[in-house]
Amino acid sequence: MRQIQDISNPMLRKNLYFIVLTLVMAPFTLRAQQPSVYKVSRMPFNTGVFSEISPVMVQDGIVFCSDRRFSAFRDRKTFEGRRLYNLYITERRDSTRWEKPKEINSERSTLFNSGPLCFFHDGKTVYFTSEVETGKIASKKNFKNHLGIFIGELSGTDILSIRPFPYNSTQYEVGHPSLSDDGKYLFFASDMPGGQGGSDIYYCEWVNDQWSTPENLGPKVNSPDSENYPFMHPSGRLYFSSDRPGGKGKLDVYYTMLTLGSWEIPSIVPEPINSRYDDFAFVADEAMQTGYFSSNRSRSDDIYSFSSTIMRKASCDTLVENNYCYEFLEENAVKWDTLPFRYEWKFGDGTRGTGSIVEHCYPGPGKYLIQLDVVNLVTKEVMYNEKTYSLEITDIEQPYISSPDMGTTGQRIRFSAENTNLPGWNIDSYYWNFDDETIAIGKEVDKTYNRPGTYTIQMIVSTEPDPGGIVSEACVCKNITITSRP
Amino acid sequence: MKLKRTIYTILLSLSLSGLLQWTDTLGQEVPGRDENITFLVTFGREGETSWGDDDFYQVFFFAIPRDFNQQFYIRIFDPDVGGEHDEIQGDFNTRTLFSVYGGQGVDPDRNEESKGLNNGLNYKGGNLLASRVFGDEPRYDNKYFSFGPFNPTAGDFNTKWNSYIFKIVCEGIKGDDGNLYRYFLSRDPENNVPIEGANAFTYEYTFRMWNDFKSVAHIYPYVDTGVIYIRLRNFDWDSDGNILVVSRYKQGIDAPISGEDDWAESRIAIEPPEVGSSLDFQFHKRQGELVKNNNVVVTLENQRGDALQFFSSPIGGVPVYQASILVRKAKPK
Repeated sequence: MRQIQDISNPMLRKNLYFIVLTLVMAPFTLRAQQPSVYKVSRMPFNTGVFSEISPVMVQDGIVFCSDRRFSAFRDRKTFEGRRLYNLYITERRDSTRWEKPKEINSERSTLFNSGPLCFFHDGKTVYFTSEVETGKIASKKNFKNHLGIFIGELSGTDILSIRPFPYNSTQYEVGHPSLSDDGKYLFFASDMPGGQGGSDIYYCEWVNDQWSTPENLGPKVNSPDSENYPFMHPSGRLYFSSDRPGGKGKLDVYYTMLTLGSWEIPSIVPEPINSRYDDFAFVADEAMQTGYFSSNRSRSDDIYSFSSTIMRKASCDTLVENNYCYEFLEENAVKWDTLPFRYEWKFGDGTRGTGSIVEHCYPGPGKYLIQLDVVNLVTKEVMYNEKTYSLEITDIEQPYISSPDMGTTGQRIRFSAENTNLPGWNIDSYYWNFDDETIAIGKEVDKTYNRPGTYTIQMIVSTEPDPGGIVSEACVCKNITITSRP
Repeated sequence: MKLKRTIYTILLSLSLSGLLQWTDTLGQEVPGRDENITFLVTFGREGETSWGDDDFYQVFFFAIPRDFNQQFYIRIFDPDVGGEHDEIQGDFNTRTLFSVYGGQGVDPDRNEESKGLNNGLNYKGGNLLASRVFGDEPRYDNKYFSFGPFNPTAGDFNTKWNSYIFKIVCEGIKGDDGNLYRYFLSRDPENNVPIEGANAFTYEYTFRMWNDFKSVAHIYPYVDTGVIYIRLRNFDWDSDGNILVVSRYKQGIDAPISGEDDWAESRIAIEPPEVGSSLDFQFHKRQGELVKNNNVVVTLENQRGDALQFFSSPIGGVPVYQASILVRKAKPK
């Protein structure tokens, strides 16, 4: 599995850098209005000299791969002298510090690579990448070994009962496993024949107690370049890394989603997760608030954490459209089917209506005097202003999102808070969350969606601090449906 | 003890609230001032019902407040049958008997027959205090005749109204002409001097409609406690216009009217706020060809078949419709 190996090999990655640098940035570039939504920081347990890659989130910490020197006396290399990757686990000591990583051993640790990996939801069964051939032939000079997926049981810091994934091959690479949250789907990278070029993302389904034949995710997801490091997020988003043209540079993290039986065109994860360096092996918590990824932006492969700076309110009022339509009725008259009277209404905006029940829509807020004239059909007498009613129409006090309800992918859509009605509020900030991990700030902003779907937009307004330092905040949300551009 | 007395006072005030409304009235004209009816009508018993009188007699009650302790008179305007006002059928040959009753048996709340609603029943219950037969007598034509003086205590005491009840019956005992007349309850035999707080009522109203298009006659039935709906019956309307039922909550329910020599009946729902107040039955003449000398009969009963009273002076005052606009949000168009 050359691509997979290449990524863990800094020398080979240089070639990719060159290729990627010659590519043109295009369709996945986010709009300039887009502020940074993630804050990243380098993890303290990175060695700086060796590589730390492919973090996996476990209960109290992370498991990752590293080719670090184990101790002053112990070091591991392949038969050819290349450094070997092994698995490590580290736990969080407090908000900033982490415990010293401990090695996770298996029968393969001494002579072969271990990782990247993933866990079944029981936290015990581990799927990890390692070489397929472990016999004597593997130690022969110029022997080309291939990576495969192996399944074992984690016991303490040991992986036991290791067995091979049935679709491993001595002819091509299979690795970088990622299980879906329910354990029914296994995603992985492979350069098996029949792909789109380079390594591609494949998946198998757990059917009748075995993994089904691998399926390629197809040309919408896989490019002629390499795709690897899949990560199936509980939300259904599939993150992966690719060195395809149009990214931020070298390897970048993308995501796609299965919608109506079809994988969507991948979207790129914004900066600063992606950079002009290699950025790969992205994982995130369920709420997408925190996570980790690997990058060589500081020369060696290191693990970085990220936290979302996106504001998304758990409690946000749904936008209520202002309704200027009213029903007027002569309360006693409507109790009778027929009355010898005619009810003539003047709505106070120059329009009229007739009947014991009438409806009228006003053009907007204002004060209106409704006058009811009644004609007695027996005596022909007209009772002018039999009753009057003073109606004051005001807009609902709420932040207001003015935008279309529908749009298409690629369409620039304007969102405005111009009609916000919060009397007495000295609004200082309009914050927009577009529900696709993008935000914008401003009273009037433009947004282009790249993928179809229904998005719940939140707009959060906040005031300048009052003399007591108190900031008032209000949130309103509205759905917009984006369809594919025909 | 003081608290008990206060509560008792409040309860007493509440229980008498209807009475207080009555005592505000000054109505002893029959027909009353607000009714705008020209004359009561009673035909001689040989008349035709198609002329507008279904039974050839009419019973009216007067209620004298308990605290009124002077003598009083019941005055009849134009009691004779002849000369002005009355309706001649060939020659004036009619004799009308007016009888005043008091004492036990008069109060219609305790003597159903006293209401005078059904022929053959003894609507003359009570002690006969005075009576007189009138024929074609120019002496009383277009003039008053006074019965009395009467002592209030000679009436039949009604606890609900806190009043002594007297009854006057007019019967067409002979002939076929129509006697058109009015009453006035007075403290003076020669002049109409009202008794404060007194009132007059009947259960069957026989009266003369206006001979013009514009004038609107009214009668004011009182909606007593427990009334859910009323059954309005009218007789011999000759299809002459409309009856509109008005209250504070009804702008004008168009009740069916009868034709020549027949009855029409309609049922009208009563809303809870209407209980304890008066309705206004408005009688509008038909436009077009004028129907002249139209005499009509109106009765009213509740859902149990109990007759309701028409007061000459409406209890609680003349009901005026209060339009009410309800505004509510509609679906955006």
